Amino acid sequence: MKNLKKALLLAGLLGAVAAYFAADESTRRYIAHIGKQVPYLPYRYFI
Amino acid sequence: MDYDAVVIGAGLGGLSCASVLARNGFKVLVLENTGQVGGCCSSFDHQGYRFDIGASIVELKWVIDDLFHKLGKKTEDFIDFIPIDPIYGFFTADGRRFSYPVSVEGTREVIAGFSPEDALAWDRFSEVGSEAINFAFGKVMSESMGTMKDMIRVAAANPKLAKYLKYMVLNFESVLTKFFKNDTVRASMSLQSYFVGLPPALCPGYVAFLAYSEHEGIFYPRGGMIGIPQGIADAFTRFGGEIRFNSRVDRVLTDGKRACGVELADGTQIRSNVVVSNINAKTLYLELVGEEKLPAWAKRAIKSYEVSIPAPMIMLGLDAKPDLDAHHSFCYATLDEMNRIWFEDYANNRVPDGGFMLISWPTHADPSLAPEGHHCLNLVSFAPYDLADGDWDRDREKYLDTMLGLLEKNFNLKLRDHIQVAKVNTPKDFERLLLHPRGAVYGLQSDITCTAAFRPSARSRVLRGLYLTGASTHLGGGVAPTIGSGMVAGDFIIKDFG
Repeated sequence: MKNLKKALLLAGLLGAVAAYFAADESTRRYIAHIGKQVPYLPYRYFI
Repeated sequence: MDYDAVVIGAGLGGLSCASVLARNGFKVLVLENTGQVGGCCSSFDHQGYRFDIGASIVELKWVIDDLFHKLGKKTEDFIDFIPIDPIYGFFTADGRRFSYPVSVEGTREVIAGFSPEDALAWDRFSEVGSEAINFAFGKVMSESMGTMKDMIRVAAANPKLAKYLKYMVLNFESVLTKFFKNDTVRASMSLQSYFVGLPPALCPGYVAFLAYSEHEGIFYPRGGMIGIPQGIADAFTRFGGEIRFNSRVDRVLTDGKRACGVELADGTQIRSNVVVSNINAKTLYLELVGEEKLPAWAKRAIKSYEVSIPAPMIMLGLDAKPDLDAHHSFCYATLDEMNRIWFEDYANNRVPDGGFMLISWPTHADPSLAPEGHHCLNLVSFAPYDLADGDWDRDREKYLDTMLGLLEKNFNLKLRDHIQVAKVNTPKDFERLLLHPRGAVYGLQSDITCTAAFRPSARSRVLRGLYLTGASTHLGGGVAPTIGSGMVAGDFIIKDFG
């Protein structure tokens, strides 16, 4: 079960990376911008 | 207690909240730093001309009607709105001019002149836009979206929201390019991303439908944009509300984890059960409440928000009618140019030199704003707060000269010979006058990570009795959203204290 979770997480990450590199420049900028903000979301939700 | 509620700032959000509370029997005091109401939606008289400070038009007027309905009043008894048509005139760098009328069909004909394929796309765009605005995004305008529970409740009540979720995930540029293929048509709808202070590449996709929502009608209040806050303030004072001008709040008073009043710059303390903020959330939490009183997670949250891009404004009084076609003229910029402004100029602290500009011509709608035969113009562009080469206070004349030069060079629009009055409001002026940190007229940035439950909540979770309105809270900047924010905060307060 643990291995399956790890495999799914890895597959998700690889999928995201593949989607990023397959995207046009505008979408890449968007993804990169949003990606930088994601770590703050748990804090922002509670303010 | 001196008052049931004290409101910091007489902007649209603060006044809307104050009037809802006063209507429901609260004893309310509004404290305004300047000598007039409105904040960014206001006007001032200068050498015989009346100029608008920031906002230049109203769309989604039904939000204002909703507010007056909530107050048991009719909008038309307080504000005289003039319908505007056409919506935009466009100048292109190769000398072409065209305009979009309010009529969806009329705009279709203009687009068909560029691309028959895009005329069909406009039909689809309008259909999606109408449904998205009227049955989905428009519905969240005056609803609290501060928690996941709120978001689920609003989504359940408006099932069509789900259909449009993809426009929250896509960016503005992707939505426009998905619908339209012609570069001129795309460019004509590219400026709306900056209405929330972001370039097309970083702006959420749903904002693209502002290019449709304007076709549901845009309006200008007779007497200048200050007519809107004046109308709301009039209703507020009729309910017994009180406004004190030239009263700067320096501190929010606290009692443990509770807000209990404010302290003014002159040291006067005013006690109240409720404190409503209509100023930027970063200024509120980090300066007025005080960083030292915030828990670590709140400090991290509020510091993580970026403020929006500044929009310096040039105000001109002319002794002749300008050679323009509409209330708003857009000096044409492609999607690439709009992105370049952000990623190259703004990122490197340079004033954009591409000539992109929004020209507002209020005397087109209301000639009484200037002496007979004279006209007022507002030139709005975007520029950084810090200049790599210069200083705003020293270089305002240089900025004026540069912008007028760009209009002449790129769009053959010659204004210099008719200028009687010229005034430049720089990002530093906006910071000093309206207390917008770094001149951020749109409050905090409005990408999807700073939206709804991820934007500072209308009902503070840091201090009980503290409520937020205006561009820093849901739904962000603009006339209709800030009025909506005031209604949301008012409803919370009535529920909590009424």
